Formats: sequence, structure tokens, C-alpha cells
Amino acid sequence: MLKVLLARLGRLIVTLLAVSFLTFALGASLPGDPINSILPPESPRDAATISRLTDEFNLDQPVLVRYGYWLKDAVRGDLGFSYIGGQPVGDIIKDRVPVTGELAILATLIAISVAVPFGIIGGYKEGQGVDKISSAGVQIGLSVPSFIAGIFLIWLLTVKTGFLGLPSTGWNRISDKGIWANLKSAILPAVALSLSPMAFYTRLLRSDMIGTLKEDYVLSARAKGLSSSYILGRHALRPSSLSLITIIGIQIGILLGGTVVIEQIFALPGLGSRLLKGINDRDLQIVQGIVVFIAFVYVLVNTLVDFIYMAIDPRIRKR
Amino acid sequence: MSKRWRNSLALLLALALVATACGGSDGDSEPADESDNVEVESGDTDDGGNDAPEDEPEDEPEDDVVAAGTEAEGDEDTEVVATEEVGRYGGTVTYGIEAEATGLRPWEDACSSPCINMATSVFDKMVEFRSDGTYGPWLAEEFSSNDDFTVWTFKIREGVTFHNGEPLNAATMDAIYPIWQTGAQSAGPLGSAGMDVEDPTAIQSISEYEFTVTLTRSNSALPAIFERPQLLIFEPGAAMDMAEGFSNTPVGTGAFEVETRDLDNETVMVRNENWWMSDAEGNQLPYLDSLIFRPIPDEGTRLDSLLSGTVNAMQTLRQGTIRDARDSADGLTLYEFQGNNVGGGMFNVAVPPYDDVRVRRGLTQMNNQEAVIGALGGTGISLPGTQWFSPDSVWYSEKAAAAWPQFDFAAGQETLQGYIDDPARSDGKAAGEAIEIELSCPPDPTLIAAMQVLEQLWSSSGLVDVNLTNYDQQTHINYALGAPPDWLGEHGAHCWRWSSDNDPSTELNRQLVPYNAENAVANGLPETLVSPTNFNNYFDPEVLGALNAAIATDNFEERYALYETVMLAFAEDVPLWYSGHTATLIATEDSVVGLNSWELPDGTLGVGHPAAEGRWNQVYLDE
Repeated sequence: MLKVLLARLGRLIVTLLAVSFLTFALGASLPGDPINSILPPESPRDAATISRLTDEFNLDQPVLVRYGYWLKDAVRGDLGFSYIGGQPVGDIIKDRVPVTGELAILATLIAISVAVPFGIIGGYKEGQGVDKISSAGVQIGLSVPSFIAGIFLIWLLTVKTGFLGLPSTGWNRISDKGIWANLKSAILPAVALSLSPMAFYTRLLRSDMIGTLKEDYVLSARAKGLSSSYILGRHALRPSSLSLITIIGIQIGILLGGTVVIEQIFALPGLGSRLLKGINDRDLQIVQGIVVFIAFVYVLVNTLVDFIYMAIDPRIRKR
Repeated sequence: MSKRWRNSLALLLALALVATACGGSDGDSEPADESDNVEVESGDTDDGGNDAPEDEPEDEPEDDVVAAGTEAEGDEDTEVVATEEVGRYGGTVTYGIEAEATGLRPWEDACSSPCINMATSVFDKMVEFRSDGTYGPWLAEEFSSNDDFTVWTFKIREGVTFHNGEPLNAATMDAIYPIWQTGAQSAGPLGSAGMDVEDPTAIQSISEYEFTVTLTRSNSALPAIFERPQLLIFEPGAAMDMAEGFSNTPVGTGAFEVETRDLDNETVMVRNENWWMSDAEGNQLPYLDSLIFRPIPDEGTRLDSLLSGTVNAMQTLRQGTIRDARDSADGLTLYEFQGNNVGGGMFNVAVPPYDDVRVRRGLTQMNNQEAVIGALGGTGISLPGTQWFSPDSVWYSEKAAAAWPQFDFAAGQETLQGYIDDPARSDGKAAGEAIEIELSCPPDPTLIAAMQVLEQLWSSSGLVDVNLTNYDQQTHINYALGAPPDWLGEHGAHCWRWSSDNDPSTELNRQLVPYNAENAVANGLPETLVSPTNFNNYFDPEVLGALNAAIATDNFEERYALYETVMLAFAEDVPLWYSGHTATLIATEDSVVGLNSWELPDGTLGVGHPAAEGRWNQVYLDE
């Protein structure tokens, strides 16, 4: 177990080093004088100012050296400051993680809560009416981009019907407005974000269920007279969910980085919208910090997925 | 995509199984503000360039010239009117703005329309803009100058305090000035206004409530600078103590104080109970209990937020959203404005082939402005631009409009052919070869549509190979800016935006100085008289002379004639091109009243809401 842990940790470190260096190098290779990213166009560009900024950000050093300075600070938890506004990058990430995190988790929970029953039913009732309806729904979910779904939900549920007084945009923090207000602001973007993974999980689980239900041990269980629900829940779901768990792990990482469009549509103060702003502003410290953070979470989540795997599948444990 | 079409698509999804939907956001939106900084720097213009066959006789049909005062059929400027109504206390306006304010440090952080709405609620200006285009008292009770406009005296009104209780007086200005001297946003405007920002006495108190501003040259329009967001009045002690933290808890004298600031989500401001201004009945202002700003970047959902009641006011600078708002106007009040701000682009006059006026003129003559305006979604709303002033501006010149190279494709080809056939052409290519140009705009959908129209027009001449490029906004600006010491930039034909409704000197005088030391010295000017933000590297000593003369007098007719000279020079040298003037909108629920009727303390009518910059200190809810 210790060996596994150490191996995972090593992988995490290597991944973070690779991602952070690539991001840094790409940012450094962007055209234009980096001073112009730091100073607004109308700001005086006297020699003293340029010299000060050059020293402060080590702009006269090679990329590797500058990366080294950044890494030295980053391992101590200092991700630098935003060029625009001067906020510490760490503080910015800390403010925004709850929003993106909640969105990703909610979207995943919604997706799983719909995908699991429909995947089971679809696998069990393969080819029948309910399976066909479910498959049609999967097609829609996979075809409709999340931002289209978001725009549609805003129009239908807030503008046209005023359903439950849901807000069109904005985020209500639990600490400020309470949990119900928070959920009201989160539900529409989470649903929009969940549609594609929901469809994907449903299809995946359905396929695995179909295969599992044809296994000999399932036939044996039926022959023993066990109920369908018991067989589905106890014997079929667990082995069928291994792929699903893997995909969920990958998907959470994708969700973390993929909330940009939804955060823009719904005007949410998450990591995605801040990353987009950082890119548009050439605020490279922000971009670097957020990308590395997302990479960190992504690897962490997938490591957790591996451990869950081991918990579910004894064969992997023994290996 | 129009809102109707989007709704129909959504309905289809609800009713049927749609295989694919690939909509997009509004394709009719206006181009984003690329920059408020326009510096025209002329390198050596017209190297061997012949005059284009554009010396059109003065009796050119004036039917084509837009008369002063004209508005496009679809231009529905909201009238600014005085009101006898007395406001009611209470309520909250939740205002959807285009983007979050980068920061609320006026001297340091860039501030465009969304931010100006916030900043002018927290901070006050020394002077305010009247509806007649003049400047009137705000924090400054009165202001005057000496005979040659080199020394200005401002008298601050008494009894004004900052949100933290500190008094505002002339000593405050002594403390603010060192911050302004080095501020990223403040130093430039002060310098271009004629102040020596190295001089510690350029702003100084002379009594408890009076301070002077001393300039190195005449500036009859100095008050205009003090109307700008860069010189909003802030509490200097708090600014020094808090540094970057000041941005989240700014301290001003404004009608509202920041209560909470959740970046990119909402900024809540509450009534300043000790604001210095009262209404005509003597009632303490402001009326509103609170003002909440919500950045909502997506145009469609910002309007939807208003329609659903999530917000009760929203702003837009996009033509397509204005159309959608007009279509949904039941229960809404639309405060529209179309002013001087005009889209278009610039040529990098310092590099071939743009350094030859025949190229610039030829390309401009082949620019079908109506088609470009159509691509931007402004058909019927915006008139084609011919100068920095819209037809309903007091500065508009019919003469300059007549002189501007109108769309004439054949004439454009002929003009450009003159360059192409010239064996001494500046780009070094052989006679007869097409010119190569790079047309670059930020990656906004409507800008891309507009540049594609231009690309098709120019390419179809058979004389131009157009390379289209898109860069993020910051890179787009950086390419135009360039790097020291030459500041030439790396751009060719570059989307840009020009002008404002402020005094012409605030933009033109700042931008039309030499672009680098070499250019200054070559024209007999001090090598320090440069500005890197002269983005198109256009410099004409006669133009600079006219601009300097225009701020050496306060006689309107004289100033008008001088700015007309500048616009005529633009028409002659064509360092830039225009699309259309930009309409802007603040849309509110009907209950939100007062955006177009606010007054200055002297009872004169304010300017309303130019560029969707609302003044909220006299707004109330009429419920």
C-alpha cells in the first residue's frame, strides 16, 4: 500500500512539474513585451519603471531561471500576484474554488443520480420502450452543448416561467445568503453542466450492464430465484461500475477546467471565468496558478479513483 | 443570432428530439471596446506618395454629406430632461454590467464604462459634465483660470467628508497629488493636459479650500480632465495605508459606500448618509438605500436577467442587444445614447505599405462602411463615421464629412493602382504586384464579421492580399503599442475605436504627439514630448499646432475651426478608417427613474448617461 501511495505521489509531482513548466514556457513565448502585460498602455514607461519591473519579475532572465523562481515560491505556497489589481493568486483561487467545486460536484451528483437508474434500466430492459426513450435522451444530452442548454434553461425557467424564483445569473454564497439561496443559484448551471456527462454515464453503464447481465453468475443468481432488483443492485451494478468510476474521475477534472463557458453564461465567480479573464488580460501569474491548481486537483481526483477502484474490485487489491 | 431565433430553437428542443444544435451567442453584438487610448503618431507620411485623385471640388454633391444634427433612423437617443418630480427614498437597484471593474483605485486601475458606473458612485469628481457640453461644479464649487489658461484655481465646497470621516479640503489635494504623479492612470492625463508631473508644486493648496493647478502651457479645457475617472477624488491616507486593498474597500466622498465586494459576482454599495448633496427640495441625497453591481459578461443572459427580474437595470454597448431590448421593451425603460465614440481601425503609418497615403486612401475608399456597420449589427442605428464627432455633436463638421473619402470602389482601385504601379513604391515590391496587408481585430464575433467584410472588399479589388489575424485583447493592444525605444508597434491595419464625448482635447491632444524621441527631434520638438500610445504613428506638426492653439483659447468658434482643421487633416492623410458611431443603452425596469434628469448642484442639467455611464446619485424607484 505504501508503495502504491508513493508511486501515486511521484506521479502527482511529475505531472505538476510538467504542467507548470509547459504553461510557464507557453506564456513566456507569447508575442509582445511582457512589460506591456504588466503596465497598462497609458502608464509611463520611463527607464526607472521598466527597470523596477524587470527586477521584480526577473524579466531579463532566461525562461528556465524565471520558472525556477516561480517554482521556489510555489512550493512555499506563494503563487505570485495578479498583474492587474495586485491580488495574491492564492487568494483568488481560494475565493473561487468553492464556486467551481460546488458546481462540478453538483453536476456530477445530478449526472450520477440520473445516469445510474437509467443505465440500469436500460441495460435490464435492453431494446424495450424505456430503453429506447432513455437512448433518445442520451442522444440529446450528448448533442446539445452545455451553453445551449444553459441559455435554454435561463429562458424557460427564469424569463418565461419564473420557476421557483430561480435567478438567471449570479452566485449566492452560503456564507452570505444561506444554503437555499445558494442552491437556487447553483441548480441551473449545474443541470446545464450535467447533461453531457449524464448522457455519457448512462450509455456507459447501460453497455456494461448489458454485458454483465449475460455473465454466468448472474444466470446462476436468477436460477437460484433471487429477485431482479437484488441481482441488479448486488451482483450486476458493482462490476459494471468500474468503467463508470474511472470516467467520473476523469470527468470531474474535465468539469473543473470546463466550467468556463457555463460560468460566463451564468456570470459565476468561479475558476473558469477567472482563468478566461487572466488569458484575455495576459495576466500570466493568474493563468499559471489556476492551471497548476486544476492539474493538481485532476491528478488528486484520479488517484482517489484508483483507491476507490481497489476498494470495489478485490482483484486489483490483490495485484 | 436574434433573441427570437434563439427562443424558437429552444422551443424546438423542448418539443422534439433535435439531433444537433449549434447556436451561438448574439452575432449582432457591437465590437468590444478595444482601447480608450488612441495615439496617432505620424511617421514620415507620404514618402513619394502622390496625392490621390481625391481633391474633390468643393461643389461635390452635398446630398451625400450628413448634415449636422442628423441622426440615423434607428438612433433613439433618450432625451435629457429636467424634472419637477421629487424622488422617493428607499429601494435597491441591482445593475447588470458588462464586466467587473479591474480595481477601484482611480489613479492606478484602468476604468471603462462598467467600472465608471461603480467608481462614480463611490468617488466624486471635481467637475461634472453638463448636458450642453460644458463643465460645471461638483466637488469644486467654482473654478477659474488666469488670462492665458496656465494657472487654474479650484475652490472646493465646504463640508464634504470622505466615507471614513476625513474632511475634504485643499490639503487633501496636496496629499493626492504625489499619488497622481506616479499613478499608472493619472500621470498620463495630467501630463497631456500640460502639467509638469515632476513639479511638486503643479498642484498645491493656497487656502483651506482652494488649490491651484499650474501648467507649462495653456489649456483652456483643463476642467475636462477633472471630469475623467482617472482623477476621481479619493481619500489619500486610506489609499496609502491600504495599498492594493483599497480596491476592495475604496474610500471616497461619493453618494454610496462599498459594503461588500465579491469580485465577478456582486459589489454592494449602500447609501452614504453624509453625502454632501441635496435635491432641489433640500432632501438629502441619494434616494436609494443600496446599489448592487453584478458583472454579467454574456450579453444575452444580461438582458434575460433584466427580463426575469434578477436585476432591475442593465447596460450594453452592443447594437444587437439594443435591438433585442427594444423588442422586449414592455415594462422597460430604455435610456439610449449614441455619441462620438466610433469604431473602425488604424493604419500603422510608419511602416510600408501603409506609409503611403495612396494605400491608406485607396483602402478607405474601398471600405463600404454601410456593409461593415451591417456586419456589426448597427444598420439603421449607426451612421457611417467620417470624423471623431457624431453628426449631433457640437463639434461635428460638414466640411470634414465632405472631405472624408467616401465609399467609391472604382476610385479606391484607381488610387491604389497608382501605388502599385509606382516603381519606387515603399514596400519594395515590383511594380504591378499586389500589396500585402495584415488586418487584425480581437476575436469578437461581430468584429470578425466586420473584418471579413473588409477582407472581401479589399481582396476583390485584385490589388490586395489580406492576411486576417485575431489576437486576444491584450496582445492586440500590445502589438499596437510596440516597445521602446521606437514604439512603432507590430501592426498593420488594426481594428480600433476612437473618440469620446468629452472635450476633444482630452483625446486628441493626448494622442497626436510624436510617437518616439526620434520623431520628436526630427520635428524640432523636445525628445521627451512623446507618447507610446500614439498607436498609428501619425504625426503632423500642423495638426499638433492646431491642437495646441485649440486649448489656448476658450472661444468656441475658434476651437471649432481648429478641430475642424484636424479632422480635415485626417481626411487628407487617412491614418485611420471608421465604421459607425456606437449606440449604448442602460435598460431598466420602469420603476427606475432619474438617469436622464440628474442635475448639478447649481441646478443645471447633467449630461445624462453617455456610453452607458449612469449617475446613480439622483436615481429613485417610482413604485
